[in-house]
Amino acid sequence: MQIFPCPFCGPRDETEFHFGGDAGNIRPDGADVPIDRWADYLYLRTNPKGTAREIWVHMNCGEFFVMERDTVSHKVLSSAALGGEHAA
Amino acid sequence: MRDLAEKWSVAPDWQSAVITAPGLAVRAISGLTQLLVSGDLDAWARASGIDGTGVGAFGAAQGGRYAARLARDRLLVVSNSPLAIATGWHAEGFAVTAISAGLQVFEVEGAALDAFIARGTTLDPSQASASAALSFAGISAVVYRHGSKLRIHVDRGLAAYLWTWMEIAAGNIAAGSAD
Repeated sequence: MQIFPCPFCGPRDETEFHFGGDAGNIRPDGADVPIDRWADYLYLRTNPKGTAREIWVHMNCGEFFVMERDTVSHKVLSSAALGGEHAA
Repeated sequence: MRDLAEKWSVAPDWQSAVITAPGLAVRAISGLTQLLVSGDLDAWARASGIDGTGVGAFGAAQGGRYAARLARDRLLVVSNSPLAIATGWHAEGFAVTAISAGLQVFEVEGAALDAFIARGTTLDPSQASASAALSFAGISAVVYRHGSKLRIHVDRGLAAYLWTWMEIAAGNIAAGSAD
């Protein structure tokens, strides 16, 4: 079991959270988006070994936030609330 | 036609239901007015005169009218008596939704309360948390202290499940089981 830090509630059990994808994976906009850009958005993941920036949601309070964590050590490096902008 | 209701045990009569074990007593609380308040909570506090911060997980609520914090912009307001504030959108910047019928409230007390909490959640009850919304017994619940007792609000549809869970937990606490 891991403890994740919700920016609003503080430390909570990992089972209270849901993964929301890579931070910065912005949805393409417009009618002329090339097919490989869509494929990149939909299917390609960075999957880094080490520090990863991810979007998570705390299901109990509904807080969306960016969490930075190490995919090797599982250490959580930071978490910050999304203020309406898409985290880059 | 198959009667699928036979698959589940009959829900207790909440007016008289009680779980007792050495150092533990659980009862259902009826008749509370419950409101969900969403939006500008400072505006809510100014308009209603009721706390706009609310107690967090295992926080201590007092009296017959108080609030529990659910999220950054959401409160559960609880009162022994009906509140004279209209449901719906308020131009000050918040919305009020009646949810008295949607949430069942349980009250737990006794010397074994800490052991009961430890079975329900991994959250440290001595550590402050801004929101009283947490996972308890595997389901979403609103959990805080009211006086010396623990109050738990759950969706009414999950109340019978939680009651069964509490019966088993109380039995295991009484038996000294680690299960």
